[in-house]
Amino acid sequence: MDSKPSVNTTRRPPTPVKIVIAGGYGVGKTTTVSAISEIPPLRTEAAITSLGAEVDRATQIPSKTTTTVAMDFGCITIDEDIKLYLFGTPGQDRFGFMWGDLVKGALGALVIVDTRRMDDCYPAVDYFERAGLPFVVAINLFDGVMSHSADDIRWALAVSDDVPLVTFDARDKLSVRDALLAVLRKTFDVAKAGATGWN
Amino acid sequence: MSEDPDVSLLRPYLLTSGRAKPIDQTLEIEAQVMTTRLGVASQADLAFERREIVSLCRSTKSVAEIAAALGLHIGVARVLVADLAALGLVDIARPGARLTQDLGMIERVIRGLEAIR
Repeated sequence: MDSKPSVNTTRRPPTPVKIVIAGGYGVGKTTTVSAISEIPPLRTEAAITSLGAEVDRATQIPSKTTTTVAMDFGCITIDEDIKLYLFGTPGQDRFGFMWGDLVKGALGALVIVDTRRMDDCYPAVDYFERAGLPFVVAINLFDGVMSHSADDIRWALAVSDDVPLVTFDARDKLSVRDALLAVLRKTFDVAKAGATGWN
Repeated sequence: MSEDPDVSLLRPYLLTSGRAKPIDQTLEIEAQVMTTRLGVASQADLAFERREIVSLCRSTKSVAEIAAALGLHIGVARVLVADLAALGLVDIARPGARLTQDLGMIERVIRGLEAIR
């Protein structure tokens, strides 16, 4: 497992930054991560034990939560000091428990939308709006055809005009890169507006 | 061995002596973990997952990568890493505070991404 006998005691590890990739099941989150990650996407699981009590109150089901949720992630080396992580996470409400963890310290989020199942991404949009995390809505053009106008989609998702809406192809590296850049530019604008504000 | 799902959930947290919360609850899943000299020296004294983490992190890994590599739930990896850090066996590099307001950092990430071809 450990092929390197030497230990880095002098070099500092890179500063990690992250972008959350959200959206409903099967919308292309893992594809998005794979398209640009320099490592094959890794999968990790989180147990929803911490949500047990809340689930119980809501559903009256006795406390035996054994559900785990898979989270795929990848990374990109930005430069020798910065490593960007991409965490793909389910958009469904019942996984909301782990978003607090994911969102903390995130630079922003990409909410992937399949126009055939737009409501799948409502919880994610809702969460990021409330958390104040800059996000971009990215329509995954599976077949290269946009079946709704951008305005229709904006209306259907009830997102304000200041939320950027982009189209992209989750299989295409440069297309994913551009979608991530849209997130970062949004984050930059929000940060700049904050920095030049009254306080 | 039973495949009772309860067991699969119970076992990981036995590794942490039943604790589901790390000592440092705020440890980010992208935090970078690197084994210290003390960690290397102590590796033989450690058991199971703690030993594996110390071995794995001779080259820097995130908490999430540790969880994936060792097949641990992410919450368990976080508890174990926080424990090892408290013992001085690993160093942790965490994301900067107020990163989302750090214009210089955001610009660097933008430039890095733009360089991808």
